[in-house]
Amino acid sequence: MKQTRRQLLKQTLALAAAGSLGMPLFARAATVLNYGGSAWLGHYPAYIAMKSGIFSRLGLDVRWQSFSTSSARMAAMMAGNLDVAGTGAVSALALMANGARQFELIATPENFGRVEGLLVRDDVNSLADLKGRKIGVTFASSSHVLLLDVLRQAGLEDARDVTIINLPASDLLAAYRSRQIDAAAAWTPQFNKIRAQTHTKVLVDDTQFSLYKAYKMTPGPDVFVARTAFAKTNGDAVKRFLQGCFEANEMIMSQPEEAAKYLVELTQLSIPEQVATLKDAEWFTLAQQKALMQQPGNFVTGLQKLAEMLVNLKQIDKAPQVKQWVRTSYL
Amino acid sequence: MGTHVLSVTPAAPRRQWLGGGALAGLSVLSLVVFLGAWEAVCRVGLVDPVFLPPPSQVLHRAVVMWQQHTLLMNIVASARRVMVGFLAAALASIPLGIMLGTSRVARAIFDPILSFLRPLPSMSWIPLTLLWFGITETQKYSIVFMGAFAPALMYVIEATRDVDPILIRAARNLGANRWQVMREVIFPGCLPQILSGMKVILGLSWTCVISAELVAAREGLGFMIMNGKEFFQTDTVVLGMVLISFTVLVTDIVFRWIQRGVLAWQR
Repeated sequence: MKQTRRQLLKQTLALAAAGSLGMPLFARAATVLNYGGSAWLGHYPAYIAMKSGIFSRLGLDVRWQSFSTSSARMAAMMAGNLDVAGTGAVSALALMANGARQFELIATPENFGRVEGLLVRDDVNSLADLKGRKIGVTFASSSHVLLLDVLRQAGLEDARDVTIINLPASDLLAAYRSRQIDAAAAWTPQFNKIRAQTHTKVLVDDTQFSLYKAYKMTPGPDVFVARTAFAKTNGDAVKRFLQGCFEANEMIMSQPEEAAKYLVELTQLSIPEQVATLKDAEWFTLAQQKALMQQPGNFVTGLQKLAEMLVNLKQIDKAPQVKQWVRTSYL
Repeated sequence: MGTHVLSVTPAAPRRQWLGGGALAGLSVLSLVVFLGAWEAVCRVGLVDPVFLPPPSQVLHRAVVMWQQHTLLMNIVASARRVMVGFLAAALASIPLGIMLGTSRVARAIFDPILSFLRPLPSMSWIPLTLLWFGITETQKYSIVFMGAFAPALMYVIEATRDVDPILIRAARNLGANRWQVMREVIFPGCLPQILSGMKVILGLSWTCVISAELVAAREGLGFMIMNGKEFFQTDTVVLGMVLISFTVLVTDIVFRWIQRGVLAWQR
């Protein structure tokens, strides 16, 4: 009995020593963090950090769950099934407009101005040429917001001048190829696939979005959100998660070919296509992040303007005070 | 052991302690209590309105959508798709079902195809119908049709097979030809069951229209629910659900009137 107690004491001392000697993984188990993602580029940082071992090194056991839409991902977060998720801001803003306090907005991973836009055939040279034509888009997506905005800028109206057809992102290419629609508003990877069709060009991309010039705000910027209840008790884990993601962003910027190798399993793109997609977006560093998110960060101001625009476009009922959801303490 | 003399008196009709009016009042009361409890649970904060909006919020959404002229537009769009798809399914399934119900040879030919079609949910027809009909209303009608046709056909076959064979033999013995037997015996005999089945199929068609409006729709109650879901407007989602139930209820009442008119000879 005495011997057992001595052994237990030895083991405890050994563990404590290991912890103090910079061996945190030996001393404590990795924190489990459920992440909601997809093959969209906003999730690349989390995926690379997970696959390259960055998260493991930081003591995180990130469990990846795929959702095809931001709204499905946010619904899972509301139900308490996800701890951190990447999402298009439109879904987050829609929930904020309904007063949902179950999540916090903690960071924005990138800016994707040129991998989303309106694709048309060669005979269309301006938005006015779209009069009387059918445009396919996924309703309630960032591409839908972009389309409504650029049509409004051109003085065109849905139903009166053009017919906007609601199609899932995965069906856009088939509908465009079979000429059931004359134009398609899409985001990567569908955007790249439609752009690769013959006699097809990009008529408008996110850089023509009203808020892009003033705030560099795309129609559906990506944000990371954390479940409030999880972040309250695991603030350090959220902090390490962001640290890992921005380490992955550094890899994307400095070694895109290396980063692409981790991603092809997720996206099914070839290495050159993957590298091209990575180079099409602007990846933020942790230092930039602080400037964007901390009050009155450009990004937060832009998000507020986007919320007000969504009200004007009759997508949400009221504009939430975005800064009430922003938490920069994890940066 | 003594002998018991049982005096049998005719049973007095059981008194109904609640009349029709009182029962209707009870139904209204239960609905009011249900709605009141739902409202109270939301008001005191037991349930987050994002998860379940109170009835007052749903009603407010209905008023707003009515003023924007979108509510009626959505109801009419879905109702039109349901009616076209359902009527097409009924028109195709009734003659075919009677034929299959009366002919063993025809049943042997069609049974394997029917067995293949029957378990397919309406949603599984979306990809093919998109290719066949493109992004059109016909595509939506076809999804309702495909979802309603096989079950409607099963109802008609069963109704036809349930017609008393003695009646058919009697008609034949009296010299009725094949067509007369069909018109005078089989059709009137199976009509009540067919109409009951069609009432069920009409309800089923409303579930099919939700699938039909998942893709390439810009109006309709299914679209309204799906779009509301994307923006977490749960009041819109609940309103869509309530409207589907309400519309099914109304069409059910209309169907009952038709049933009474058509089957007037039964009374």
